[in-house]
Amino acid sequence: MPTFKLDDREIPFEKGETIIQAAHRQGIEIPHYCWHPGLSIAANCRMCLVEVEPPPGQRAMMLDILTWDAAKNDYVVDRKPKLQPACQLAASDGMVVRSESSHFVKNTRAHVQEFLLANHPVDCPICDQAGECKLQDYYLSQQHTPKRMLDEPVHKPKAVPFGDTIVYDAERCITCTRCIRVCDELAGDHMLDLRERGNRNEVVLAPGRKLEGDYTLMTEHVCPVGALTSRHFRFKARVWTLKETPSICTGCATGCNMWVDVDPREERAYRNRPRDNAAVNKYWMCDDGMMTYLRETERRVLEASARGDAGRTKLTVDQAIERAAAALKGVPKGWLAVLLSAQASSEDNFVMVEFARQLGAPLYLSAKAGWKGDKILRSEDQNPNRAGAVAVANNAKVGTMKDLLHAVSAGQVQAVVGLGTDSDAEGDALATLGRVSDVVLLASHDGPLAARSTVLLPAASWLEAPGSFMNVRGIAQPFAKALPPKGDAVPAWDLVARLGRAMELDLKYRKFKEVRAAMAVITPAANPEKSSTADATAPAVQPQTTA
Amino acid sequence: MPGKTKVLKKPNRSLAEQAYLLEIAKGLGTTLKHFWQGTSQMVSGNTPDAVKDPWADGIATISYPDEKRPYAERWRGVHRLTHRDDGSPRCVACLCCSTACPAQCIYIKPAEYAEGDARHGYERYPELFVIDELRCIFCGFCVEACPCDAIRMDTGTHMTAYDVKSDFIYDKAKLMSMVSQHGTQKSENPRHEPGDPTHPGVDRLHGGH
Repeated sequence: MPTFKLDDREIPFEKGETIIQAAHRQGIEIPHYCWHPGLSIAANCRMCLVEVEPPPGQRAMMLDILTWDAAKNDYVVDRKPKLQPACQLAASDGMVVRSESSHFVKNTRAHVQEFLLANHPVDCPICDQAGECKLQDYYLSQQHTPKRMLDEPVHKPKAVPFGDTIVYDAERCITCTRCIRVCDELAGDHMLDLRERGNRNEVVLAPGRKLEGDYTLMTEHVCPVGALTSRHFRFKARVWTLKETPSICTGCATGCNMWVDVDPREERAYRNRPRDNAAVNKYWMCDDGMMTYLRETERRVLEASARGDAGRTKLTVDQAIERAAAALKGVPKGWLAVLLSAQASSEDNFVMVEFARQLGAPLYLSAKAGWKGDKILRSEDQNPNRAGAVAVANNAKVGTMKDLLHAVSAGQVQAVVGLGTDSDAEGDALATLGRVSDVVLLASHDGPLAARSTVLLPAASWLEAPGSFMNVRGIAQPFAKALPPKGDAVPAWDLVARLGRAMELDLKYRKFKEVRAAMAVITPAANPEKSSTADATAPAVQPQTTA
Repeated sequence: MPGKTKVLKKPNRSLAEQAYLLEIAKGLGTTLKHFWQGTSQMVSGNTPDAVKDPWADGIATISYPDEKRPYAERWRGVHRLTHRDDGSPRCVACLCCSTACPAQCIYIKPAEYAEGDARHGYERYPELFVIDELRCIFCGFCVEACPCDAIRMDTGTHMTAYDVKSDFIYDKAKLMSMVSQHGTQKSENPRHEPGDPTHPGVDRLHGGH
């Protein structure tokens, strides 16, 4: 592999890679604003300028400059090398690049930074980017001098609505064009552009358009400063009070890797952010996926209940398990159906499959329907774990919800034990479930199946328990617990194991680790730890594997 | 066991001193001198300022709590929230003070200005701003951290001794009602907001280009 020298380190690179790309892959960050590993090169922020030594035998390209001579108390004529943007300069074998070790580079970075901040309003107290702002970071690491411009900064429009999701602040904008390139290159829709020049330069909407589509929040995600803010997140929290947890998006079967930012004091999720994974979602997520954290708190099942003659009665979880076990014990072998869920984790489904196997019950799978995919990220299947639920069934036949309802109407089912609340069959078709005498459901959210359950057990949501999903391409990916379970909720695998033990089955699982270990042995395909592409503990900036 | 004996010299007092009477009269003379001086100062109203000139002759005490010594300019007293010209809090609920607070005594619940307000969609304000003055250690970090000069400890007031603990929990109304040593509810650093006539800047709406 060819290498070039960056400061004192030899950096290997592949042909065609730029200096910043190769350095980024080695975990070395050259300060930059406009460059993004997933976008085309604009080279307009001038922050990544580096000094490049001329090839042997050639003259260095030098610029005449004036430098301050303190001894003479005057400016003197001097020369400096012409610096080049590391984001645009292709690496070549044996190249010698100076970044941190060149005082010219350090000086230039400080000056570029000062120019970028010349008209900046410095309204960090009211800016939601504060705490994760590149202007703040690089001010501290590269500049650290007060502003010398005495004039009043140019004022530009603030709080400009860019559609339903994004608000734009032109004063904070450094016109790096990352948002424009996201619209062009990810969404494929030229909704944003620049207008005017110099210090009047600002991002505007295309005439007659607003920022719309499924990838608007990515413009905010790539914005290195506080120019674009998300309506859902702005003014809600300060980023330094949030704690990030690696998770997997539950929006569809693509299984985008994401961070969930929660406030540990309020035990509440505030936002999702894409987690870089070159094999799955690269750097991106869709708007619906970004908003799944809101769905997590909506219509939660927080307590166990049983349906009686006089409506639903509240029970403790133990009482509900006892009641369910008593009802299911009376069901003759072969008359019980077990419903897996494409919305639940592989671990939950795995214990459910074990439960079904010991009772000799047939397996069915409930799933959500009604979702539009696209060719960018969104899968046609809205369920995050259909593949995982099928994988943990270990070659056993898994029927659909329609098959279950068919069996019910044929009178072959006396009781159902199910995971999840979603159903792709609705209305009258689902009403046939009423013929089943006992429907024991383990659900985190209220929904069509929860409404028809005779015993309802509160399950933890995807943010409240660890687990794993297998995406549509068969990559099993783990996710971590971000929040403590709300109400009486318990992880679904634990509920199934407790229900099994109450029915004198051999389900010994008491810890999540035991479930994961058993799953790795029995259904290794679903084991996320074997999947090298999905590391839940990987750092935020992962090495880029595709140039 | 016999030890060393230290022989003390007899004090060499004169007969007049040993008689006491003269010394008593001298001492009473000093007392009376101060008594007459103080009384005459009180009658004539020429009492020296106990704060500015504490070593002056005459009465060196003050009648606390009718009179109070003012605290130094930089003395950290009970907090106050500064006002803008329109009486709204300068605080934008950035949570810098509650982040900096080592005692974790500040709770802020941010909210957005109502629809129609000029600051709607632009800034936020504290819907709740609560300081637990019992937990506060008066370190002044909140004042240091505040980027808007919205919280100050220049009230020159120390904590009052309340008899109910809940009285020490200062809410937004209480903090907004506090005044500085100099009697103002505003800050020393005037704020020019975009749109104000005082705002020196230019934007598309207000001339320039």
